[in-house]
Amino acid sequence: MSIQISNINKRFDNFTALDNINLTIPDGELVALLGPSGSGKTTLLRIIAGLEEADSGTIYFNGEDTTSTHVRDRGVGFVFQHYALFRHMSVFENVAFGLRVRPKETRPSEEEIKERVHKLLKLIQLDWIAGRYPSQLSGGQRQRVALARALAVEPKVLLLDEPFGALDAKVRQELRQWLRNLHDEIHITSVFVTHDQEEALEVSDKIVVMNQGKIEQIGTPEEVYDRPANPFVYGFLGNVNLFHARVEQGSLHLENTELNTPDLGNSKEASLFVRPHEIHISVDNAEGSGIEAKLIGWRLVGPRVRVELETLHEHQRVEAEISKTEWQAIKAHESGVLFVHFSNARIYTNEASWNDYVI
Amino acid sequence: MKWQFRKPSVLPGFGLTLGFSLTYVTLLVLIPLGGLLLYTTKLSWSEFGAVILDPRVLASFKLSFGASLIAAVINLFFGLIVAWTLARYNFFGKKIVDALVDLPFALPTAVAGIALAAIFAQSGWIGRLLDPLGIQIAYSRAGVVVALVFIGLPFVVRTVQPVIEEFEKEFEEAATSLGASWLQTFTKVILPSLMPALLTGFALSFARALGEYGSIIFISSNMPFVSEIVPLIIVTKLSQFDYVGATAVGTVMLFATFVILFLINAIQIYSREKSL
Amino acid sequence: MQSEHRLEPRWLKPLLLGITLLFLAIFLALPLGVVFSEALAKGWKVYWESISEPDAIAAIKLTLLVVLITVPLNTVFGVATAWLIAKFEFRGKGFLITLIDLPFAVSPVIAGLIFVLLFGSQGWFGAWLSEHDIRIVFATPGIILATLFITSPFVAREIIPLMQEQGKDEEESALTLGASGWQTFWKVTIPNIKWGLLYGVILSNARAMGEFGAVAVVSGHIRGLTTTMPLHVEILYGEYLFTAAFAVASLLTLLALVTLVLKSFIEWRIGKKRSLAH
Repeated sequence: MSIQISNINKRFDNFTALDNINLTIPDGELVALLGPSGSGKTTLLRIIAGLEEADSGTIYFNGEDTTSTHVRDRGVGFVFQHYALFRHMSVFENVAFGLRVRPKETRPSEEEIKERVHKLLKLIQLDWIAGRYPSQLSGGQRQRVALARALAVEPKVLLLDEPFGALDAKVRQELRQWLRNLHDEIHITSVFVTHDQEEALEVSDKIVVMNQGKIEQIGTPEEVYDRPANPFVYGFLGNVNLFHARVEQGSLHLENTELNTPDLGNSKEASLFVRPHEIHISVDNAEGSGIEAKLIGWRLVGPRVRVELETLHEHQRVEAEISKTEWQAIKAHESGVLFVHFSNARIYTNEASWNDYVI
Repeated sequence: MKWQFRKPSVLPGFGLTLGFSLTYVTLLVLIPLGGLLLYTTKLSWSEFGAVILDPRVLASFKLSFGASLIAAVINLFFGLIVAWTLARYNFFGKKIVDALVDLPFALPTAVAGIALAAIFAQSGWIGRLLDPLGIQIAYSRAGVVVALVFIGLPFVVRTVQPVIEEFEKEFEEAATSLGASWLQTFTKVILPSLMPALLTGFALSFARALGEYGSIIFISSNMPFVSEIVPLIIVTKLSQFDYVGATAVGTVMLFATFVILFLINAIQIYSREKSL
Repeated sequence: MQSEHRLEPRWLKPLLLGITLLFLAIFLALPLGVVFSEALAKGWKVYWESISEPDAIAAIKLTLLVVLITVPLNTVFGVATAWLIAKFEFRGKGFLITLIDLPFAVSPVIAGLIFVLLFGSQGWFGAWLSEHDIRIVFATPGIILATLFITSPFVAREIIPLMQEQGKDEEESALTLGASGWQTFWKVTIPNIKWGLLYGVILSNARAMGEFGAVAVVSGHIRGLTTTMPLHVEILYGEYLFTAAFAVASLLTLLALVTLVLKSFIEWRIGKKRSLAH
């Protein structure tokens, strides 16, 4: 089932939660709504579910207007951030709930319910704890039961609000992979909300990056990571160094260096975005065009070394992530002048769109 | 591990506060209540039975338990509605209404008694409306129930209200998204979660009603066999210097109180285990 | 709150709000109103005479005396017990808590009865007391004892959960900084529990002034001598002096209203403090 979101607006008092959102989610895709808190992603998810009403705009499921359809009848499976498992019901009863509350005419027989619940519990590999209560489950198990409960009503769309937010790091890692596999198996159109870029990159078919009630970019994980549409997306997906530079007569002036950039035009401010792993450091400026900097500190992070520098001219902080071998070479010159090079950078001027430069 | 009276702590004052508390509780609570139980042993079983099985005493037990039960049921129903309204809805004057719910805690029972009697008397603000319908509340058994509803009102509201306030909206949303109607959500999801609090409030309200004296004697006609409550029997017997009779009746009341206290504890332990 | 109406039927709020307001109006607002309306039924002059006649003054004085003795004693008891229960782990703690709570559950009449059985003419110490010409029952000491029993849990109950919630980290760190036990208590513990303590004192005060059942049993109803304000109300009411009864009752009602206002104020303070701590 495809979802089409058209011109959705939502305000809470003086706060614009969603500002004219347009988005189409094709049938069978697993889509991540990614953004910082307050970006409107959860509100959007709740509006798709029918738990929240938009001030204006329309939601279509398979081209059909569902805006005024009650949550009860919308046919969505919603997995809540804290699972919302019913405490006084066993795992089995939780999963069976949606079937048992159906009106008599459409309610399956008790036998059929039993069969369907056990099938689902097998799917989430928790058939063996059907009789337990939510208080007796681990966080990861609760998450999976919540998912099974949502799937039991055979929803046309599966919506998940921060599905891994309340879990510890190791379980989160496992469940991500598991959700991906599950989706490949059942192919239900799914939307999940997350503030964790790694999670979005790893699990989803498509990422919708949101900020301040607006969509900043829509694309595959590769697209949004490698070709961010704007500085916000660049900054949100991973650490980044920002440099301020000036374009004058076809060349870019940055600190002590100058770079030929004929297509950038003339006389304007420019910003350079460089990821820490796209920086390397030399002691002799053998390649030329290195920015002069001095070392401020360094830290071992697993197999890599995180180095902090300050440029000599503009006194900008630079964070670089380099290999141990590279670090060994620099360490001897700790107190001398070092040279910062970019293997890749993104230049943004106020009117031009993004430019890729490999320096 | 060695038997220890207490876990070691660096904080001072254990001996002082233990000594003071124990002495205070012993002198004020333990010895007087022990005195009552000890006094009971002065009676033989047949004497005890003669007091308790006296038709007038039995009638008062029936009235006290019956009226307390009816009042607790009324409070359970309306207490839930009041608690729900205060926890869920915003309306003009809510703060005042919320504060007013505690009035029965703060208002001396004698004042409550004469005020309710005045309202429900034949010429009273409400009695006047009910009189043409042939309904008499003051100076009848119904009056006893009215006083007990007043006395027990805050118990259900104040035990249930915080539970409704803390009840996550997510549970209702989950049930609704799974297709449940509002009534199904209420009966299958919300009500079971409120059950321990409702039962606790019910039991507290019942226990309080059972022992109530001050407000009832003003609104009841206090007629033997008709509208005479157990505490009044105790007071009457004491005023006739029938200590033995008063003690026998008092012991039964005390026992009933202990049973209710025990039930309340059991409910709370049960619900704590469930919610972990 | 935004989506509530989408889950609940729209008619629910007006229905429940209506029931709530009607129910509370009948059971709470009308009794409040009738007290003042009856008290002032014959005008301010009669009202003033009713509360300033000698027996009324004596009842007010006795009530204040009872409060002045019971509230401080129970406050000290409550604080000491809360310290004991919140800061230490020891055997028999559960039993001690049950004992402290007990007066709450016991019928006021039984609270009176137990003191009559101890100190009454046929009580355990009755003979000894009359030999030494000491009167406890049907005299002020009995009234004080019964009130002390009834109100003993109030302060303790308010501050035990408060102290337990706060733990003992702050006290322990004060000790490591060189404070003495009493310094720690006055400078760390008391400021932390002051609102809860005040709350308990206010509730305890209201109950001490208004207690009827327990006091009725031990008082003997000797006009001008052993009648507290609620008992004075009872006597006047029994003599069909309704206006006078309601006039004295109106003083107790004012006390109840002040109690509710203070209670709301403290809850607001505590609530505010809690939200600041987040």
